Amino acid sequence: MPLLINNEVVADNWTLIDAETLDQSGDVIVPLALYLEHRAQFDARESGVALQLNGDDDLSSILSEVDQFPLIAIDFPAFRDGRGFSIARLLKRQGYRGQLRATGDFGRDQLDHLARCGFDAFQLKDEKFSPDVFKSFGEVSVRYQGAADDAKPVYLQ
Amino acid sequence: MYQYNEVDQALVDQRVEQFRDQTRRFLAGELPEDEFLALRLMNGLYVQRHAPMLRVAGPYGMYNSEQLRKLAHIARTYDRGYGHFTTRTNIQFNWPELAQVPDILAELASVQMHAIQTSGNCIRNTTTDQFAGVIADEIEDPRPYCEIIRQWSSLHPEFAYLPRKFKIAISAGPNDRAATQVHDIGLHIVRNDAGEVGFEVLVGGGLGRTPVIGQQIRPFLQKEDLLSYLEAIIRVYNLNGRRDNKYKARIKILVQAMGIDAFRELVDAEWEQIRDTDLKLPLSEIERVKAFFKPFDYDTSAAADTSLEQHLAEDNDFRVWFERNTVEHKVPGYRITYVCLKPYLKPAGDITAEQLDLVADLADRYSFGEVRATHNQNLVLADVKQSELYAVWQILAANNLARPNIGTLTDMTVCPGGDFCALANAKTLGIADQINMKFENMDYVHDLGEIKLNMSGCINACSHHHVGHIGILGVDKKGEDWYQITLGGDDGSEAALGKVIGKSVAADDVADTLEKVLQVYVDQRIEGERFIDTFRRIGIEPFKEHVYAVAN
Ligand code: SF4
Repeated sequence: MPLLINNEVVADNWTLIDAETLDQSGDVIVPLALYLEHRAQFDARESGVALQLNGDDDLSSILSEVDQFPLIAIDFPAFRDGRGFSIARLLKRQGYRGQLRATGDFGRDQLDHLARCGFDAFQLKDEKFSPDVFKSFGEVSVRYQGAADDAKPVYLQ
Repeated sequence: MYQYNEVDQALVDQRVEQFRDQTRRFLAGELPEDEFLALRLMNGLYVQRHAPMLRVAGPYGMYNSEQLRKLAHIARTYDRGYGHFTTRTNIQFNWPELAQVPDILAELASVQMHAIQTSGNCIRNTTTDQFAGVIADEIEDPRPYCEIIRQWSSLHPEFAYLPRKFKIAISAGPNDRAATQVHDIGLHIVRNDAGEVGFEVLVGGGLGRTPVIGQQIRPFLQKEDLLSYLEAIIRVYNLNGRRDNKYKARIKILVQAMGIDAFRELVDAEWEQIRDTDLKLPLSEIERVKAFFKPFDYDTSAAADTSLEQHLAEDNDFRVWFERNTVEHKVPGYRITYVCLKPYLKPAGDITAEQLDLVADLADRYSFGEVRATHNQNLVLADVKQSELYAVWQILAANNLARPNIGTLTDMTVCPGGDFCALANAKTLGIADQINMKFENMDYVHDLGEIKLNMSGCINACSHHHVGHIGILGVDKKGEDWYQITLGGDDGSEAALGKVIGKSVAADDVADTLEKVLQVYVDQRIEGERFIDTFRRIGIEPFKEHVYAVAN
């Protein structure tokens, strides 16, 4: 699955793990529930530990600590499930500065909105990728309202 | 009305090109059906029973003459010569070709129009009072706030994939003509004890399968906090609204499930975080937008006219129309004038290309070039001089736009139903004809006075049957069309949901049943009482008894 950052496809050294692959070495992305369950073990790791969040997670358990993670992945269970957009805004408002990655069932036509909400990495499914997906960033250049990219609405710009 | 600047224009132009590319990719098989579905809906494009249906935005009901001519052109060129005004003051075309939709959108953009967010699970067109700015009882013109909300909500990156559609309505005085209590958010412009003007905020109203009257979440909101508060409500909804069942996904279900107090707590906690950010609406921006809605240069000698009195005395048809289809304007010498889209035996809200052109001409000649659409599917020329009413009436009458039935039984609000809509359980247009034929006698209809009749072809309630004084809902019984009748609904300041009168009636019996209902009213009313007043006084039982006793 191609990972898009800064308008190019880049190599990805992170692996998403689950309960079966807890011992995976290297940099891992851990679903929040799994992380909370084995917290001590993950915090002791030398290699990178990232979180994966989704709309069903209770964010209050982790929101104040997000800055300790170099990467947070927000999963989109379906194209039309827009909770991830708001989760991203909450993280950015919290001051999160690591990589914010979209995963799951989002599509090219959502990239610009995702970027505006604070995502800076996009793991598109293979079948959704084509070289022209980058064109969708800034396809509509006018931004009436503030968002994570620029808090100022059009009349303050 | 609001005029686009370069930024506004760039947005709609770029949106057209974006949609053109999305359509191209869909037709080329590069864009999956389910993704295109969400994208096209957000651009007002449905796939209906016969063809795609394109819903064009009429922001808070405002249209100018140039736009109406463009709509007429689109109706002729891309459709079958007519359009249909909806209960959200938008206009729909029922027969465009999918491949031509980008071209239609480009035509719309050339006159500062679009179809953005007229459908889909996003923030829809904000609606308001069709008399905004011209009625004496309003506290402040609501349209500048509608426009501010329009801009803030247009292509809002966070709220494009909400659990379900989201509708906001604003009213501005004691008489609620915008059905604010049955919207996801209802805003009432109010004055507080300190004399400041702000908003009372309601949340969680809505119709559809589970009709609910909105509840107050905040008694008074300062104007500058408008956008931060809306953003807080919708963020809480986006994160917490149900996504497992589309019939339980509206904000009303969330508010009901949590209770208004718990919901308010969540909203307030979110609002605290954002109210003192750039979301705070500067007074200068409010003033900038207000400048587009300044009162026109009214003729100060208009009230000196005596010809109106004379025409009223001499021409009975004109007088009847004047009494039913015009409303007092806040400026002496002017009248608010309805263009009736409920003619005899024609679908409610339909308008031909010729009529669109004609209304555009009337607007230019007699009403400062502007027209409004109402949530009951009529049009309004808001600023007609009384000395010119007779001329306007003659032209309207010659073009089947002056049926004197505004606010009466035959001014029905009717969805397209089974003839057009793929979701329908029953047809509606034939029933509307049946009612029109039964109640053709205008004297009788005028004697019955103000009655709101709303008819929906299925439980989705697009025509708001729950809040009709008389509501008719099409249901499917073993493949046949049957109709359930409710009484006592209202979408005004005393909003209420109608009560079901009894078992549903067969298609052939709808008008006869209404006749029985109305007979009870005529027998029981006391001087000056409207149908809804009598209903509130005597309740549903006398109606039930009469309708079903005679039937047995
Ligand atoms: S109420 Fe039902 S039949 Fe009527 S337009 Fe809506 S979905 Fe279609």
